[in-house]
Amino acid sequence: MAETKEKSLSDEKPKPRVRPIVRLGIFLISHSFLVSVVCCTAGVLALFLLPVLAKNTYISENALMPGSASPMLSNQHVSDGNRLVKDLTNPNSKSSETGIESHKIIAQYMLDLGAEVSFHKFHPQMNQFHPLHFFSSPVSGKIQENYSCSSYGINTVGIIRAPRGDGKEAIVLVTPYNALKSGFGEALSLGIAYSVFSLLTQVTWLAKDIIWLVADSQYGEYAAVAAWLREYQTPKFSSLSTPNAEMCPDVNNLFELKGHSISGSKFSNSFRRAGTMAAALVLKVRDQNEQFEDTISIYAEASNGQMPNLDLINVVNYLAVHRQGLRVNVEKLWPLLNSSWLKSLGEIFESLAKVAKSLYPKWKFGIPATEYVEGTATLASSLYYQALGVPTGPHGAFRDYQVDAITLEISPKFSLDKVWRNDILLRGGRLIEGVIRSVNNLLEKFHQSFFLYLLTSPSKFVSVGVYMIAFALLIAPLPMVAASLYVDANSSSNCSKGDSSTPSAITDTDEHGIAIRSWRWLNSAKLVFIVHLWGAIVSLLPYFISQIPDCSPTTSFMIWVLLSILSLLTLNSVLASPLACAKATQEKEWALVKSVTISSVFIGLGLMSVINFATAEIGALLMVPMCLLARPLKLDVRAGTLRSFCRLICNLVLGHIAFPPAAFFLLKGMLDGFGNANVGDFWMWVESLWAWNSATYLFIDLTWRAHAVVAHQSCMMFWNLDVLVLSL
Amino acid sequence: METFINPKSLFHLLLLPCLLLYSSIAYNSSPVEAAMHTNNWAVLVCTSRFWFNYRHMANTLSLYRTVKRLGIPDERIILMLADDMACNTRNKYPAQVFNNENHRLNLYGDNVEVDYRGYEVTVENFLRVLTGRHETAVPRSKRLLSDEGSHILLYMTGHGGDEFLKFQDSEELQSHDLADAVKQMKEKHRFKELLIMVDTCQAATLFNQSPGVLAIGSSMKGENSYSHHLDSDVGVSVVDRFTYYTLAFFERLNIYDNASLSSLFSSYNPSLLMSTAYYRKDLYKRRLEEVPVTNFFGSVMETIHTDAAYKALSRRNSGRFEDEMSLDQSVHHIKRRMLIKVNDGDEIHDINPEGEEGASKCPWSTFRKKFQKAENVDSLLNYGLVAMIPLLVISTWLVQ
Repeated sequence: MAETKEKSLSDEKPKPRVRPIVRLGIFLISHSFLVSVVCCTAGVLALFLLPVLAKNTYISENALMPGSASPMLSNQHVSDGNRLVKDLTNPNSKSSETGIESHKIIAQYMLDLGAEVSFHKFHPQMNQFHPLHFFSSPVSGKIQENYSCSSYGINTVGIIRAPRGDGKEAIVLVTPYNALKSGFGEALSLGIAYSVFSLLTQVTWLAKDIIWLVADSQYGEYAAVAAWLREYQTPKFSSLSTPNAEMCPDVNNLFELKGHSISGSKFSNSFRRAGTMAAALVLKVRDQNEQFEDTISIYAEASNGQMPNLDLINVVNYLAVHRQGLRVNVEKLWPLLNSSWLKSLGEIFESLAKVAKSLYPKWKFGIPATEYVEGTATLASSLYYQALGVPTGPHGAFRDYQVDAITLEISPKFSLDKVWRNDILLRGGRLIEGVIRSVNNLLEKFHQSFFLYLLTSPSKFVSVGVYMIAFALLIAPLPMVAASLYVDANSSSNCSKGDSSTPSAITDTDEHGIAIRSWRWLNSAKLVFIVHLWGAIVSLLPYFISQIPDCSPTTSFMIWVLLSILSLLTLNSVLASPLACAKATQEKEWALVKSVTISSVFIGLGLMSVINFATAEIGALLMVPMCLLARPLKLDVRAGTLRSFCRLICNLVLGHIAFPPAAFFLLKGMLDGFGNANVGDFWMWVESLWAWNSATYLFIDLTWRAHAVVAHQSCMMFWNLDVLVLSL
Repeated sequence: METFINPKSLFHLLLLPCLLLYSSIAYNSSPVEAAMHTNNWAVLVCTSRFWFNYRHMANTLSLYRTVKRLGIPDERIILMLADDMACNTRNKYPAQVFNNENHRLNLYGDNVEVDYRGYEVTVENFLRVLTGRHETAVPRSKRLLSDEGSHILLYMTGHGGDEFLKFQDSEELQSHDLADAVKQMKEKHRFKELLIMVDTCQAATLFNQSPGVLAIGSSMKGENSYSHHLDSDVGVSVVDRFTYYTLAFFERLNIYDNASLSSLFSSYNPSLLMSTAYYRKDLYKRRLEEVPVTNFFGSVMETIHTDAAYKALSRRNSGRFEDEMSLDQSVHHIKRRMLIKVNDGDEIHDINPEGEEGASKCPWSTFRKKFQKAENVDSLLNYGLVAMIPLLVISTWLVQ
């Protein structure tokens, strides 16, 4: 390969007066092997350097001013909250089978504060796979036909109007609550929310309305919040709506009953709205915990790796750490924390930083090895959850409407002690109050700080400008290698013409030959297209498989595999005749096929990085080496040198690792141990992906296709090999 | 003949300095320069809106209160407030503005007249106010109706940078805009003296001004001006450091104090300010030690007593008269105490006894000192006149 490149370089050289940029391009292309090795190494290295390069977070929006006001939440409010907790945990309130009693209690408490209260009834919508809905938000006012009066959820919504506000904006506080089997944690989260709510009814500084949503989580936290948001954001103007929960008699009874029992005019059966949402906080309290101190976990990832504005996380982090003395956590990939290689890598970076500092005292980029390991674990989890595209909590529903939201999960250290309970109510409440007051100061939407970032700790982040470098380095070799391969393929056919080994080359006139040669990549493109088509079909298959009732994940997966193979064979027989024709010239064509594949992968990765960086990054990590190393196995086998053997092994290993199910099992095995891995898991995983309309699914599909193309290349050669062996 | 010529030429030689003296006096009392300080105006501008800039409005309102307290009437104060913090929904204390966390003083009391509010505070309106080029419909209360006898205080606060000051978070007043406006004011005899005080980041860069202008900024180029303290009850910073210490200086004063501008300027402590207060006086003619702050921050003017009315009262008694006034606490704008010689009428008296000009301009801090000074001046004048007599005798004798 290298020789031919040099040859091409020598071909280019005599050309007079080439512009520098062109010359640089030619230089890079001609040294594509070296460039790709350097770039890929640098890309991977840069990825591992990200925790070192992480910057400290800072509050970018001046208007927020977190913590500038002293908290007003007093013990009076805490005891109010405690009262609600007691009432909710009282066994009498749980007697009702539908849990309506507890909703009544909550509503009564809200009304006593003078808030506007309404119930929102919803039917849980099962998430379904809609092949064409990947990038559309899940609004789409679709109405399910089969409503049944038996399954509905009730969200209790309380609204405080800002006394002097214009009512155009609102802050949402969400507490998921399952009335049927609520743990103490849920009751406690309601208590915290209530104490804050009772404070906010008294304050004079509200500029935004406050909405407290007690989301009925018996059908899932996300579903309840999403249903309420759907209703909130898409008002129905016609009364001719299809049957919904209001038609059910028992529900109506409930509300009439409420209407009678509650004397205030502030209660209404209709859906209540406030202004546009500035931010939303989902508050949870974990039931059991093994932490040594009060910690608070922040979950921020929404669908398709979208993140809330960094300022929101900053505000929460600042207030929790510097005002309430809570420890703030973000998700980590725990297995990585104990990995020794990461630790040693961290130590290497640390010592390197020391050396650099001794050389030039102003260079201070080193971080301690332990911090590095933690940063990497956090970064990995950040990457993973963004790449997955599945929201990590009910806050994801808000992001679909461009509302910045996060989930706060408080894990208190002690249990059930009265003093402790008051303490956690007070501190949790003050934290929420502080965040609300800070957001209340906001004049515009969150826009100052980053939306594209990865967290390496609650107070450190890697911004898009930094992490894109790693990605760019990783995919930079692709176009160069593609160009180089294309040049090679053309020049090698030139050479072959000179050797007069192919009869067609002799008969062709020069221009005609060039014309044909320059369009020859279309053949390869067709091949690649067919394989992508197959990939598309495979990725659409689950939609039909999921229609089959009563299917265990394992069987579904098996059906999927079978159907995929079947479709491949069908496609091959129907469309692959050109493939068969191409077989003869395949030995020369492989370079062109590879070139086209690499180009398509490059485009795919580039596009994906715009949609969801994390996915693209992980995909690039898997696919770039695979694409770069791919080479017909036959050629390697024939060559018989050690180098080609190594390449062959790499090819096979990478080819299998990058196969999405294989990659999934490998990862799962690494993280959870191989014993737990099950074929059905992959099906479940994929199902969850399409249920959340994750673009990652599309991407896996893309990976699949690219993989298929590469595998196809290799396998074709296998088949040829077989044929050879047989003929021998 | 020759004996006649000599005495004549001697006489002419003697006459020459007298003529020169006279002409210089005549020059000094040309109509523009000779205008007396007759009134005081204040233009107080808060240029930034939004709740988190509460302190800028508090700054401006504090200055408003101070200049009002020191005697500038409301109709001579143009108050420009870019936002309404008092009625902001985020304000915990509706309709109140504080500049200190002790909340003792509500700056937004009953008698605050805001001339330009909200989105009226623009660079255009600001420049129109300064230059007096208003549309016909603009009421008199919104105009700066100053004349060549006016002392104007121009106070601005907001967010700024190198040679600019932001207005309303959307436009900027640049230093050359300001310089141009001042120049126009000068041309149109809209002021006698102008003090520009700016509390913003890099305030010093805002001054490349035309003559007759005294300028003070809260910070040098490259420095930030910081807020003084946070009111954790209201939840915002309530006052800027520079303004805070300015106010601290003025709170000690009342209308009868005669602290000089230099004492104000030297009261700024860079370590407390966290920036270096910069004042530019090279374009200003008088010495800062002689200018009382009330010349700009108050409305205290000299009263000229005509001889006819107060024949018995010589200059040495005028001080005592003023003292009695202050004891009476009668604060009539017309009957201002007589502290400082500002106008050129005084200068004419002071020029004859050479070397006394500087001393006579000094603001006498105590009555006793002033009294002695006044006596000195008179005696020197008398001696001078006595010395003239022999000269006169000799010259007449020579002519004959």
